Amino acid sequence: MASQSQGVQQLLAAEKKAAEKVAEARKRKARRLKQAKDEAQTEIEKFRQEKEKSFKEYEARYLGSQDDVAAKIKNETFTKITEMNKQVATNKHKVIERVLAIVQDIKPELHYNVRV
Amino acid sequence: MALSDADVQKQINQMMAFIEQEANEKAEEIDARAEEEFAIEKGRLVNQHRLKIIEFYDRKEKQVELQKKIGASNLLNKSRIEVLKAQEQHIKNVLLETQQQLSVITQDRAAYSALLTKLISQGLCQFMERKVILRCREADYKLVEDALPSAVHQYQSLAKKDVTVIVDTENWLPAEICGGIELTAQNSRIKITNTLEARLEMLAHQMLPEIRRLLFGRNPNRKFDN
Repeated sequence: MASQSQGVQQLLAAEKKAAEKVAEARKRKARRLKQAKDEAQTEIEKFRQEKEKSFKEYEARYLGSQDDVAAKIKNETFTKITEMNKQVATNKHKVIERVLAIVQDIKPELHYNVRV
Repeated sequence: MALSDADVQKQINQMMAFIEQEANEKAEEIDARAEEEFAIEKGRLVNQHRLKIIEFYDRKEKQVELQKKIGASNLLNKSRIEVLKAQEQHIKNVLLETQQQLSVITQDRAAYSALLTKLISQGLCQFMERKVILRCREADYKLVEDALPSAVHQYQSLAKKDVTVIVDTENWLPAEICGGIELTAQNSRIKITNTLEARLEMLAHQMLPEIRRLLFGRNPNRKFDN
């Protein structure tokens, strides 16, 4: 009888230990899953930093090229205007002559609807 | 009775071992599944956010590109406007200079006299009135008096009508203008301004395409020249 209860106790103890083991395992699993979130967060953050860095490089490159474009356009404008000034200086007197000539070119005539 | 103490203990030990083994197996299973789910969950989260981040930065890059294009287009527009403004300024200057040179015309008295005749005659043809009052500069009075008869004659042969022209010796045209005449009729109700300035202004406006062509050369982008 004593040995029976002893045996039962042993079995109960074993069961208890077994249940504890399983419970431990379940706790580990829960921890692991939480870890998953944390590690994922870290990785995501790392990825974002990378992307941010390459974006900043991209931006800097584009801004730089915009300055180039601005300088190029400025030069072209300057060239065009200088050309124009030269042209005008050359052609000015021709234009003035022509306009003055037309001012003096007068043909008195009646309105085309008048019947004499 | 059935078993000895030793046998019982042996059985109990067996059962204990069995229980332990089962527990270990179960724990192992749980651990394995934990790893699996860990990997799946982590991978899912990472991918989900990765996609969002990629989309976000793609959009930002497109915005930057768009900004750049807008900026370049704005610069180009400004440049074009600058060039056009310079053109306009040149034309204004040329016309101003032309106006200043109008006085050259009046210096050749003979040519100016012929011009006056034509100016008067043109005015009369426009009017077709019987009675006309003529205004001129005080300095031109003599020339105008001389030119008047031939002008009237010219008008009469064209229109087959008579006309009486009276020169207004009280209200001269201002002396600052370069030359020309002004005609009024019907009690100053109708007026023709045939001064040189007025002619220049009217012509300059109508001649702008030709002036532009002469000053800047033909525009290669232009498709129609009517």
